[in-house]
Amino acid sequence: MNTMKVNNAKSHFVAVASIAAELSAVMEVAKEISLAAANAKAIAFRAGEKAKGFQPITDFINELAKETIELVNDINQHAFRLYQLTVNEHRMSGAYYKFEQVAQNSTKMHYASSLTKPLNRAKINMLECRKEFNQSLSRLLEQLAEVMHPARAARVIAANSRIEASQAGEYLQGLQAVAESVDHAAQVIHEKVQKCRSALSVINLDS
Amino acid sequence: MKITKIYEGAYQWIMYGRDPNKPEKIIDTNQYAVRTKKRCLLIDPGGVELFAPMLSAVLHDAPVEEITDLFASHQDPDIISSLGLWDQALPNAKLHASGLWEGFLRHFGCENIEYIPIADNGGVISLDNVEIQIVPAHYLHASANFHLYDPEAKIFMSGDVGAALEPAGVPVFVEDFDSHIEKMRFFHQRWMPSEQAKRVWIDKVRDLEIDILAPQHGRMFQGDDVKRFLDWFEGLQIGMAIKN
Ligand SMILES: [Fe+2]
Ligand SMILES: [Fe+2]
Repeated sequence: MNTMKVNNAKSHFVAVASIAAELSAVMEVAKEISLAAANAKAIAFRAGEKAKGFQPITDFINELAKETIELVNDINQHAFRLYQLTVNEHRMSGAYYKFEQVAQNSTKMHYASSLTKPLNRAKINMLECRKEFNQSLSRLLEQLAEVMHPARAARVIAANSRIEASQAGEYLQGLQAVAESVDHAAQVIHEKVQKCRSALSVINLDS
Repeated sequence: MKITKIYEGAYQWIMYGRDPNKPEKIIDTNQYAVRTKKRCLLIDPGGVELFAPMLSAVLHDAPVEEITDLFASHQDPDIISSLGLWDQALPNAKLHASGLWEGFLRHFGCENIEYIPIADNGGVISLDNVEIQIVPAHYLHASANFHLYDPEAKIFMSGDVGAALEPAGVPVFVEDFDSHIEKMRFFHQRWMPSEQAKRVWIDKVRDLEIDILAPQHGRMFQGDDVKRFLDWFEGLQIGMAIKN
């Protein structure tokens, strides 16, 4: 029982810590999108009439990138908080199981009954910690679902951009490249966020 | 855990050690407690692995709520890595340890326990009517390091000074000083870095009246063995690794 708890805790630490790595990749990609949007704007400006349909799209891409960056910033902070809660929970439940062990081994000791209070307190602390951890975890999963929206929208826009690009004559290649890179970035974000979600899905703290 | 009363007057000194369930690769440690009427001071309460057997043993002598003070002679894991657990068990207790180690010791977890920083020149821990002196022992071996002296019980708790590396389960007092020397030599030569610190410490400790010198590892010294130890330590060249 005790070993299992410890192993579980280990996987929590790894899961929560691994999110940070995935999220920093998402951040890089979101910045790429915003760069692509700036590029597209420049090309569309030069293309003038030929890329008229493209111009509002570039603004939209830029918006999406900004939104993603904001969301990821939020998620990062939240993930850090979750990490702190993981450490807390680990400490609290570690203490509780140790106290239980002491209680079992000191029934004959003169002052054994004085353990009851700290034992109960430790249990309450542990359960409270778990509750907070679980709440924080489900909030983080919600946020991760939210960050998928702009990524999905970006893919739709990328498809539209391709159509618009095909009417842009000599600017075709440039605009197509922009569409490609937005599409690629959106895919990467989708992938990374999915990874975060499945990493977190293994965590299950019974409260 | 073996429980040995080493002083019994208006209050008590108790030594806890020789834990038979200690994992093999962990260095054996001696923990001490000063138990007064309503309070209990745990001295170098030990590592994480030792927390459960240690608390269980202390419950023989004091209820949890009367364990009011902890003292850490220095920052080593065998001294105080159990802090995070005591922190949950004793939310109203105080930890007396060098101010220099505060930022380090807090890594073990110290949210509830009050950290009482000891200044470099030492101080006093008061328990009911008992005053335990905090004696500076810097560089012996940690750069910020303290020992405890109880002038009433005439007990000097010497941290890692006087330590010996011995197999598990040996007696708690030195019985034959000469044969004990080899068990102490490497420990002192390798873990004690400063000749100068050693000389200052010896001069200071020689002036104290000591019945029992109580180290954190190995056996305690009593009676004439205290002076024998001081003489031996004085003549020992320490800080050996520098030469290699
Ligand atoms: Fe040490
Ligand atoms: Fe030690």
